[in-house]
Amino acid sequence: MSHPIHRLSVKQIISRVRQVFPNAPEAYIMSLINDAINEIGQYSQKAVTAKVNIVANQMFYSIGDGSTDSSTEEMGINKVYRVDVMDNDGDYIQIPRVLDGEPLMFDITSEPAIKEPE
Amino acid sequence: MASNIKYPEDKVLYFIRGDHLGLITTYSSSGESRTDRKAYQAFDHAVSDGMLIHYYGNPKKVDALTDFPDVDNLYHSSIVDYVKKCLYMDKAGSTPDAGMMQGYMSLMMQHERKFDMAIKKYGTKKRSKTGGTRAVVPASFT
Repeated sequence: MSHPIHRLSVKQIISRVRQVFPNAPEAYIMSLINDAINEIGQYSQKAVTAKVNIVANQMFYSIGDGSTDSSTEEMGINKVYRVDVMDNDGDYIQIPRVLDGEPLMFDITSEPAIKEPE
Repeated sequence: MASNIKYPEDKVLYFIRGDHLGLITTYSSSGESRTDRKAYQAFDHAVSDGMLIHYYGNPKKVDALTDFPDVDNLYHSSIVDYVKKCLYMDKAGSTPDAGMMQGYMSLMMQHERKFDMAIKKYGTKKRSKTGGTRAVVPASFT
């Protein structure tokens, strides 16, 4: 059974805005819509799962803006809440998180984006 | 290719350091013995799709008129409030008339309040997909 829901497209949002601001430029409204989406993204939690290749002898993996998964899709990570690692059967098993300060050895050579003073 | 590690839950840990995720393990493919100081090191073998990261992600941006915002439809009308809030603020900043500026500011604040109420105050209530009774399962000590 179909269950249609009410959604607003960008065109409909612009049309509602132009009831009051008929001359507002489309590109500007779209930019404001993206600002709103980013703001909502801070509160509305969109759960996402991404696969990342494990590279030999690399300790650090980028999770910043623009970082990509194994199929080169941008991940757009706000907050990591769980990490699984593949076992020898090919199943994903949840691994524990530790605090940054706990591991004694720091592998600076495998950190491609580490900030060094210039 | 699967990993060499049979029990990742015992051998692998992760930590977050700013914009980087650190993945460390006590496992050694060559069976080398490590001192405690260097017990945790990076994986010594590559694993395709070896890590599965679960996270709260940024919604996708919109590019075209036919796009739908990548947030729950409950928030779509709030986006209209956000846009109007910004446009009223622009109006207030560009008008030389103090009375009109007050009017624009007042309308701006109404839309801002509506947006904040919908997203920040009641956002959790609207987005929660959970329901039903909850049960506490006592731990088995046997």
